[in-house]
Amino acid sequence: MGNSSNRIALGKLVFLRIASFLLLFSVLGLEAQNRGLGNAQVDETALYAMTKQMSQFFSRFNNEEDQFGEKLHPSSQEWRNQQQRRTVLPLLFDNDNPRTSGSLRDYFIDDLTNSDSSFLQFKGGRWYAEVSSTFLHQGEEVQIVLILMIEKENLGSKWVLTNVYYPAFSRLFPAGEIAEREKHFLHPMSHELDFMNIYKAFQRPEVIEYYASGNYQPDYLSLFFYEVKKGNLKFKSVDKLKFHIFQIKNWYFEVSWFNRSGNNTGWLISSLMYVTENEKEKLLMFYQP
Amino acid sequence: MRKIQFIIAVLIGMFSVNMVQAQDDLSPERKQAIDSLALEKVRDLSKYISIIGSKTTPWSEANRVIDRADELFMAGAEIGVSSISRPEVAYYKVRQYFERLMRLNYDRVEIEWFKIEYVSDLQRQPDGTYVGVITIFQKFKGYDKEGGLVYEDTTKKDITVYVKRKETQIGGRIIGFWDVLLGDMRVKETSK
Repeated sequence: MGNSSNRIALGKLVFLRIASFLLLFSVLGLEAQNRGLGNAQVDETALYAMTKQMSQFFSRFNNEEDQFGEKLHPSSQEWRNQQQRRTVLPLLFDNDNPRTSGSLRDYFIDDLTNSDSSFLQFKGGRWYAEVSSTFLHQGEEVQIVLILMIEKENLGSKWVLTNVYYPAFSRLFPAGEIAEREKHFLHPMSHELDFMNIYKAFQRPEVIEYYASGNYQPDYLSLFFYEVKKGNLKFKSVDKLKFHIFQIKNWYFEVSWFNRSGNNTGWLISSLMYVTENEKEKLLMFYQP
Repeated sequence: MRKIQFIIAVLIGMFSVNMVQAQDDLSPERKQAIDSLALEKVRDLSKYISIIGSKTTPWSEANRVIDRADELFMAGAEIGVSSISRPEVAYYKVRQYFERLMRLNYDRVEIEWFKIEYVSDLQRQPDGTYVGVITIFQKFKGYDKEGGLVYEDTTKKDITVYVKRKETQIGGRIIGFWDVLLGDMRVKETSK
């Protein structure tokens, strides 16, 4: 009995969402003709529906703009209105992907709209751009992922590089067998012999890092800068861009660009995961070591 | 004496901090006014693009409009163009982009602008200049001699807008104003 009433309530909720979704776009379709600079006699509903910039993604996510993309005044009742946010948030997901259009999405939206602190902040940190790029390494095309974040500086802010992912760098530092690692060390009395045994550390360059501290982590960004400065890596192009957002408590999501026909386009959530704050710390080590 | 110097220094410090804070927190009304200024520039740009691209515009007139269009941009601004079939971004200097548009090999072109524009929030860069992005959409159609449609696309144009507070002297009085210039523009073909 409880289950069936829950199902009915859920059905009503889904119906209301679809109804408000359709209402929103039918209103947009009607009103679209009166706004903007243009003269094209075509249906612009899809362009209104498109999340055209990440800036708009943030504004829609927080319900800080109206359905025409006009900024809401912070003193208005609509600004960050949780009820309206419930109808806008489903539009920000890739609806073609079952992983971002199912019940996990609904839990996420419930979480967001039941908290007064679940709003995205441009300068709030913990959101990163992943720029997939092509470089030339000694004349040959290679793919390198650049990670960037917004950093405050002086009167404003700027995007800064925080890490790179280049498989050739990762291969330089294989995890290695523990048994093998344990064979490589300088014994604790080496200093008394003027480190005459240190030559052993350099005999096998491929495992030289075994002689570093247990806390040692390779700094791929410095390696990258070194290769660029030496002229071994030359930038060619940006291929793809996506964003990783860790700002919302216990959630992680990825935002990608969807260039396709229909009303579900632009910057949309392409991946969503429930991740506790403790687990996030480990993930963040990749983005901001 | 030292005490007085110290108080003056603190007062000057407080005043300059207040100035910085006041500038940083633009009121929504002020932001809206700046958005309008920026949109005006973008509308000028779209008008110029239509004139430059039109095959009925005389050569000399098109060149004059290219000069006007070029003046909207900051020195060194670039235009990055990509399409669905050619995703690699081709970079052009502003003038080069307009000259290419003027020389397009069609008998007749139609350039239409969608009635939609999106203005991002303004963010400050480290030197204090505000930067934003305005998105507009354009429909382009190219026809051959027989009047047949040979090419069409819809492009999304993301245009950087720089806004800086400046001062000028008019009749001995210092008047502040917002200077708006366009920066790099990304032109991306949307799905057909």
